[in-house]
Amino acid sequence: MTDQTPQSEGRGEERQPSREPRDAAFWAQRVERLEVSDVPAGAANVNVQGRREVGALQGFGQLWQKTYRVHLAGVEVTPEEAVRIWKERFPEFQPPNSRFYPSMAGVAPGEVLFISASVGGMPVYTGVRVIYADDESFTVMTPEGHPESGWNTFSAYTDEDGTTVAQIQSLARANDPVYEIGFRIMGATEQERIWTHVLKSLAAHFGVNEPVTMEKVCVDPKLQWSQIKNLWHNAGARSMLYTMVGAGRWMRGLMRRRGT
Amino acid sequence: MGAEELHGSLHALRGEFEGVRLINRERREDMPQAQVKMDVRKVNDDVSVIDVKGELTAFAEGVLMDAYNQASDGKVHAIVLNFEGLEYMNSSGIGLLVTLLIRVNREKQRLLTYGLSEHYRNIFQITRLDDAIGIYDSEEEAVRAGAA
Repeated sequence: MTDQTPQSEGRGEERQPSREPRDAAFWAQRVERLEVSDVPAGAANVNVQGRREVGALQGFGQLWQKTYRVHLAGVEVTPEEAVRIWKERFPEFQPPNSRFYPSMAGVAPGEVLFISASVGGMPVYTGVRVIYADDESFTVMTPEGHPESGWNTFSAYTDEDGTTVAQIQSLARANDPVYEIGFRIMGATEQERIWTHVLKSLAAHFGVNEPVTMEKVCVDPKLQWSQIKNLWHNAGARSMLYTMVGAGRWMRGLMRRRGT
Repeated sequence: MGAEELHGSLHALRGEFEGVRLINRERREDMPQAQVKMDVRKVNDDVSVIDVKGELTAFAEGVLMDAYNQASDGKVHAIVLNFEGLEYMNSSGIGLLVTLLIRVNREKQRLLTYGLSEHYRNIFQITRLDDAIGIYDSEEEAVRAGAA
């Protein structure tokens, strides 16, 4: 969909028996800005094209590490199987107010996933890019304008008891002051509800109904005032404008048709 | 269904469940754990170097934080990570470096690196760690920058 991934480059015979690291195929290639050539049906390419990716160091708000876990108890499923299903059915596991639209290539390094979310009834169109994906995990990174600046890692592992545990770990801060206020008032709870829903849905796919646990640690309580400029890209405000302009066009067209 | 029959079914079910747990436990024993070694060298009064050899994944957290505690002993102004021996890094490894960077900044120290291959330099750029962590070609350059 966007850039070529290391996996799709073909690790052909002509390549030297390289000194390429073992993780090379799992990482996305570097892009200066997100380039989108093909938008999945139903998705809006708003606040994605041309945006730079932003990590846990670039945002505005406090940096939080949140870890959500569910034990897939009582079923025989390996971490690899759990993550394979997770990648394949990623959009299905999302709640209705947070829709993800992957490209045809799905969850693979370098691919962009579009997001249409609703926060407090207001639409937010944005996306994320898969920067890392192996058999037991995948990580998405946010672009400018996204409510968060950072990464979410979706993974599975086997615990001491031999039970497979599905985990979501986010390391992110609010991208700008408006989001920071929003997260402090209600957004953080909403975000926690979304990832809890995702883990519940994944567990339900395997016929498991176990509680989802969450641990959160404030890694950096400082606000990064140097990043206040991120407000310019706020996807919430831009999505609202996009929606209003769209509605205005629709109204004008309707009135024109009635006038003729 | 009689009580005895029910007891038998439950017993069979429990046996099946224990079987699954046993298989998974055996799988876990086969799983690789932390495969990283970190040596700490104090180059001068201002700079300590941590030589990272092996894999930087979530399993490396304890080793990295122990190495940092050892390296930041005294009045060190800069911590230099030597990545010449880095063999593997996943996104959890990047998360560890962010956490380390926050700790280093909190102590009013600087975090610098050298020895990154082109591949890992690219990863630092993808994740934008290079915005905050100084990358140098050699130990000499990194140490000089750390002491400045």
